[in-house]
Amino acid sequence: MDVWAHFIILMEGVPLTLSISIISFLIGIAVGLPLAFVRVYEKKVSFLVDVYEKIFRGIPEIVLLIIFFFGLRPLLPFPFGDPFFVACFVLGLRSGANQSQIYRGAIRGVGDEQMIAGMSVGFSKWRAIWHIMVPQVFSYSTAGLGSEYALLIKDSAYVYVLGLAEVMTRSLQWAKNGAGDYVTPFVIGAALYIALTFPIAFYLDRWGNRRKRKIGL
Amino acid sequence: MVDNVMEAKHVFKTYGKSGKKKQEDEQFTDKEHIVEAVQDVSLKIKKGDIKLIFGPSGSGKSTFLRCMDMLEIPDKGEIYLGDECLTSKGVDLCKARARIGFVFQHIYLFRHLTAVGNVELALRQVLKLPKEEARKRALDALAEVKVSDCAFRYPSQISGGQAQRVGIARALARNPDIILLDEPTSALDPELTGEVIDTLRDLAKEGATMLIVSHEMPFAREVAEEMIFYDEGKIVETGPPSLFFNAPNTDRARQFMTRIINRTTR
Repeated sequence: MDVWAHFIILMEGVPLTLSISIISFLIGIAVGLPLAFVRVYEKKVSFLVDVYEKIFRGIPEIVLLIIFFFGLRPLLPFPFGDPFFVACFVLGLRSGANQSQIYRGAIRGVGDEQMIAGMSVGFSKWRAIWHIMVPQVFSYSTAGLGSEYALLIKDSAYVYVLGLAEVMTRSLQWAKNGAGDYVTPFVIGAALYIALTFPIAFYLDRWGNRRKRKIGL
Repeated sequence: MVDNVMEAKHVFKTYGKSGKKKQEDEQFTDKEHIVEAVQDVSLKIKKGDIKLIFGPSGSGKSTFLRCMDMLEIPDKGEIYLGDECLTSKGVDLCKARARIGFVFQHIYLFRHLTAVGNVELALRQVLKLPKEEARKRALDALAEVKVSDCAFRYPSQISGGQAQRVGIARALARNPDIILLDEPTSALDPELTGEVIDTLRDLAKEGATMLIVSHEMPFAREVAEEMIFYDEGKIVETGPPSLFFNAPNTDRARQFMTRIINRTTR
């Protein structure tokens, strides 16, 4: 097979790489945002969040993937028998631990006064968080989220251990079948990762800066 | 009793010196390390009353005002809104705060919302008014404080004086039983304080019930029914403005008035 045909096969891995990273990113928001607020505003249980963050940030992704996939499959066949689910689940929880830290910094940056003002107009603590803190926290943390997203694109390469046919797995296959050329497949794979990472990170950063200027943060 | 809009009975509030709130399991017994911001303060406000609290900075005026809104929970004592005791257990503080307007020294507008959004938010989400009605009431409130032209601008795009008037509109729009104002002009440039004072004067004419922490003496003389001199966590002396401007009874108040009047006329 010529390089072009291999390249096409490699490109066919892009939707999978993208969907794993985007879904993990969204899971990360859903997990990280509440955790950050619990950590800041619910002092009594904040140590639990700390434990969670330490576990997921302290163990390499590849180890987590293997433990969750090969360890849980015999016990919980559904949905842990599905490599795509496990990939998104593990990377999402890991990203949640990271994002929690990003949001925590943003909550400090937005400031407690906004919460006090929210409570003064009649909101409960959690409703003030939802209506007043969350929108500002997002604007504040776009730069961090951009690099978190880039991290997820890169970390999605680890899921080759689960046999999912994304960009990394396909580069590996190309290298195995490619008559001794181990460099070309990975260089092209690397270029694809850069192409996937930067536009979104760049756009997030620019949007965030514009938004921050608008609201004077 | 019921004709009181708000009443504070023997309120106490203590802080650790670092500004740290006192935890229940923690005891600050050492005099060196505690700030007694509010010590046995009692106060009654009737409908239509305008009372003005003044005194040296750091004396606990703002803390007391925040206790009135339960933004700080008093260590001891009772706060009544109408005949509801806010310091007893199980009271819905959100409902109570929705009936109290609070204006902050540093304004604290919601930065991600336009002026009208700031006013509208609580109308829609707390009072649950329908969209159109909330918008109408918000715009009316902004018109009342004469900042209609800024309605669709963000807080970062308007001046401090305009922002503070939006802050007043935000407190006003819910038709609160009382408005608490914590040094509404002291964070503003001197030339912007006038417009905020004018707004407050208009509110006073319309019969709003207000408890104001302020050092705007000419304003106080004009609108306040009662002035309250507050120092070291206590109410030192109360009386009509005429008392304070002519001959306060306590030495401490006399000293303070002399200094403040000299400063204003200079």
